[in-house]
Amino acid sequence: MLVTTWNGGTMPAKIIDGRSIAAAIREELKGRMAALDGAVPGLAVLVMGDDPSAQSYLRGITRGCEAVGIYTETMRLPQDTTQKLLEDAISRLNSDTRFHGIILQLPLPEHLNSLRAQSAVSPDKDVDGTNPVSCGKLLLGEETFFPSTAYGVKELLVRSGHSPEGRHVVICGRSNIVGKPLAGILVQKRPGANATVTICHTGTRNLPEITRSADILVAAIGRPRAITADMVREGAVVVDVGVNQVEDAATGKPRLVGDVDFDAVAEKAVAVTPVPGGTGPVTTAMLLTNTVAAAEKLLAR
Amino acid sequence: MPGVILDGRQLSRDIRQELRERVTVLAAGAVVPKLAGIIVGDDAGSASYVRLKEKAAAEVGLLSEMCHLPQDYTQRDLLTRISELNRRADVHGIFVQLPLPPQFNESAVLTTISPAKDVDGFHPESVGRSWLGQESFVPATPAGIMEMLRRSGYGDLRHRHAVIVNVDNLVGKPLAALLCHESVSANITLCHPDTPCLADWTRQADLLVVAANRPRFITADMVKEGVIAVDFGTNYVEDTSAKQGYHLEGDIDFEPVREKAEAITPVPGGVGPMTVTMLLAHTVEAAERLAAVS
Repeated sequence: MLVTTWNGGTMPAKIIDGRSIAAAIREELKGRMAALDGAVPGLAVLVMGDDPSAQSYLRGITRGCEAVGIYTETMRLPQDTTQKLLEDAISRLNSDTRFHGIILQLPLPEHLNSLRAQSAVSPDKDVDGTNPVSCGKLLLGEETFFPSTAYGVKELLVRSGHSPEGRHVVICGRSNIVGKPLAGILVQKRPGANATVTICHTGTRNLPEITRSADILVAAIGRPRAITADMVREGAVVVDVGVNQVEDAATGKPRLVGDVDFDAVAEKAVAVTPVPGGTGPVTTAMLLTNTVAAAEKLLAR
Repeated sequence: MPGVILDGRQLSRDIRQELRERVTVLAAGAVVPKLAGIIVGDDAGSASYVRLKEKAAAEVGLLSEMCHLPQDYTQRDLLTRISELNRRADVHGIFVQLPLPPQFNESAVLTTISPAKDVDGFHPESVGRSWLGQESFVPATPAGIMEMLRRSGYGDLRHRHAVIVNVDNLVGKPLAALLCHESVSANITLCHPDTPCLADWTRQADLLVVAANRPRFITADMVKEGVIAVDFGTNYVEDTSAKQGYHLEGDIDFEPVREKAEAITPVPGGVGPMTVTMLLAHTVEAAERLAAVS
C-alpha cells in the first residue's frame, strides 16, 4: 500500500527492522538474566565440518550470547565424524551442567542420520526444537521450545504490529525447520496465533493465486526472487525467510538476498522484511530466548 | 452425475480381510499380535467404544486385553500399569481410552506409552515424527482418511488444494502433517469452523475435510464442482421417525453436496468405520516391526 505523503508523493511499504526487534528482545533477556540468582545460561553449538555459508549465522549466535551474557562454546567435529561419535558428543552435552541449550548445526553431512542425532538431544536442552518430541509437543500445543526461525517469524509479526490472529497466513515452503513448525505455531488457539494457515510449496501450480489471498505471506523457499510483485496482494505483510547468496551485478561480489523481489514487492506490501536485517537477527534472538528459558526452567525445578 | 460414495464399511471390510492374512503370516512365526486397552471410569460411551475395538480385534484374529479401572484410580498407578504393558513382549499395541477422569494429566499418561506401541499415535514423539515425515503411528481418524483416499485413487494430491475445517490434535493437525508429506504434496489450508468467510476457503478446496460437529454446516454453495468431500462430523439429530428418536448425520449437507462432488464420504458408513480398522492395522504393523527386528 502506498501512503500519500505531505507533498502528494507516495511512500513505499514500511520496512520491518529485524535488527531493532532483536535488540529489544536482547534487552528483555538481560532483565530475565538478572533474575536468575547468578546462574549463567549456557549454549553449546555443535558444528560438523566448516561449511562457509554457516559461518555468519554461527558468528551471530556467538555475538548475541556475548551481548546478553550467555556462556557459549562452539564444538567442532570433523566432517567425517561417525554417528556414534556425534551421539556420544551430544550425550556428554546432555549431562554437562554448564549448558542449558544445545544446538546442532544442520544440515549434517550426508553420511549421518540427522533424525537420530536430533532425537539424541535431550528435550530439556533442545533449544532449536528439532527433536521429534519437541516437534510433537509444538503441534499438540504443549509447552516446548519452538524452532528459532519459525518462532522468530511469529515474534517479528507480533512485535511489528501485524499479529497473525484471525488473518490468513500463507507459508511458501514446508521444511521441517521453518514451514511446518510455523504452521504448527500459528494454528494454535493462542494470542499471537489463531490464524487460518495455508502451507504451499514450489511444486504448487497455482502458487500466485494462493499467495495473492494472503494477508501475511511468508517466503521460505530458498530461491532468489521466487516471490514477485504480481504474487502479492496490495496491503499484504511479507516476511522473507530466504537466505540466498547471489553475485552482485554491479560489483561482481557475492551478496545475500532473500526469496522476495524486494523493491517491487515493497511497492505493494504494507510491510516487508529485508534480507539481510529482517528475520535473521530475530532468529538468533529467539535462540537466545530459548536458552534463557531453559535455564529458568531448570532453576524453577 | 452425483459423486461417488466412498464406502467406509466396504473399505474397512477389505482392509480387515488383508489384516487377517497378515495375522496368519505372523502366527506362522509364533507371533500373535495383542492389543491392550485401558479404560478408566464409568463413561458409557467410552465403554461401548472399547467393546467395539475388542470385538473388531477378535474378528481379525488379534488377541486383546481390555482393562477396566475404577473412576477413582490414581495417576501414579495408571502410569505403573502402562509401564508394565510397555515391558511385556506379548503386547504390541497399547491405547488409553480418552477422555480420562479429571484427576488425570492426559498428556503425562499418553507420554508414558512407548512410541513403539503407541497405536493411537498420541505420544508427542509419534506426532513429531509424523510431522517430520518419518515413519510413525498416526491417530486413527487421519490415518483412516488417508487410507480411504489412497484406496479410492485419490492418494496423489499434487497441485491440489486441501482445506481442513478443524485444527484439533486428533484430526486437523495430524491430517495436515500427512497431506504435507512429499508423496501427497497437497497445498493445505487449516481453518477453524469459526474462520470468518469460511465459504471463501471451502470453495477453493479440491479436497475438503470437515470435522466441526455442526449438522448441515457445509452446504452445496460452499463447495466447488468436482470436490472430494470427507465428512467426520458426528451429530445426533432429533428424528421422531427413527426408532431411537434421533439419527446420526455428518457436517455436510449430503445430497446437494454430492450433486457437485466427485466423491463424498457418507455419515454413517464413511470415515467412522475406518477408525477402528486403523487401530487394528497399527497393532498388526507394530507386531510386524517387532518380528522383523527379532
